Amino acid sequence: MIAVYRPGSSLLHRMPAGLKVLGFMASALAITFTAGSVWTQPVAAVLVCAGYLVAGLGLREILRQVWAVRWVILIMLVTQFVFLPPVVASANTGRVVTIMVLAALITLTTRIPALLDATESSLAPLRRFGVNPAGVGLVLGMTITTIPVIAGFAATIREAQRARGVPVRITTFAVPLLVMSLKHSDDLADALTARGAG
Amino acid sequence: MTSLPLISFDAVSVDFAGRTALRDVSIVLHQRRIGVIGSNGSGKSTFARMLNGLVSATSGTVRVHDLDAARQAKQLSRKVGFVFSNPDAQIVMPTVAEDVAFSLRGRGLSRTEVDDRVASTLQTYGMSDHADAPAHSLSGGQKQLLALCAILIGRPDLVVADEPTALLDAANTRRIGNHLLDDLEQQLVLVTHDLRLAARCDVVLRFDEGRLVESGDPTSVIERYEREHA
Repeated sequence: MIAVYRPGSSLLHRMPAGLKVLGFMASALAITFTAGSVWTQPVAAVLVCAGYLVAGLGLREILRQVWAVRWVILIMLVTQFVFLPPVVASANTGRVVTIMVLAALITLTTRIPALLDATESSLAPLRRFGVNPAGVGLVLGMTITTIPVIAGFAATIREAQRARGVPVRITTFAVPLLVMSLKHSDDLADALTARGAG
Repeated sequence: MTSLPLISFDAVSVDFAGRTALRDVSIVLHQRRIGVIGSNGSGKSTFARMLNGLVSATSGTVRVHDLDAARQAKQLSRKVGFVFSNPDAQIVMPTVAEDVAFSLRGRGLSRTEVDDRVASTLQTYGMSDHADAPAHSLSGGQKQLLALCAILIGRPDLVVADEPTALLDAANTRRIGNHLLDDLEQQLVLVTHDLRLAARCDVVLRFDEGRLVESGDPTSVIERYEREHA
């Protein structure tokens, strides 16, 4: 769901991480606050396509990113269709997907250490309010790292249950997933402490 | 041999949740390659984890390279690199190069210095081609090599490896074993069930039910261990 860095030398790859994050935040806010305009979605879509082309990732990468969040899209659409007219539900979902694809463009073109540095320096003024910028940066990096691990646990549990002929139910799936995730978090905490980050 | 810094345990005991994991362990070690063997639950992992402050003594004193493990745990974690048996649980950042670079965070190095050290470390261990690969997509052996790179880039004085080959096939066990036992310049504490690896150490310690029952020449310690468990 969260894209991993693809090496490159495009303008977007070379741009400072902080500038990219600021640009992303400004774009996400603009997409959110101009939701009423019929131009918002087409303009945002064109800009996203341009971003992927400039980064040398190609338009097919956008489809890959959308496919990666297909379940999120489905859940968003279904829940909104219950309460909202179809046009509004589709437009809302379209905006969220655009922002997610835009976020993926940042992680695809930015190395995590650069992203961590940018996060830490932008949060530095909040230190006086008790915010730990290094901690926030670490959580950000580890979140991106841990998603494929949890997905791997889920696949292992599904395979084990299929192999034993156990029907996949939320309880028989969620409990082992939770146990494996907690064990992983314990091991990861030890590894972080051992690497001087604990 | 005696020029190497000391690891010393003085009457060390560790209790966990009503169970005694280590009982009254006392030893002074100055050898370069130290093997640790024993059955599951014998206390060898607890012994290893004390060397970089992951586990604290309930009683007694542990000193590692002039640092008190209980009072100077933070400094100790920089001097002592730790390799775990499960390489997946050691990966902190998404790609190989990012994960290795993570070990240098907070050391005041410039981006260029970090990049240079990452590139040179990956090259040393034949991992350059994987620098931008997602770390979780590597094979088990490559992940353990990555863990080793992530430890060694911090230039520790002591490397502790807790069953680093437990999840690896024979070829990768040999590869990781050779890196640890032949290539490392640092002092090494190797906890292992693989007696062939233990036999290549300078000294072997044997634990049983939390006690350090024997230490000395690898051949004789391993022979007695095999005889008792035949």
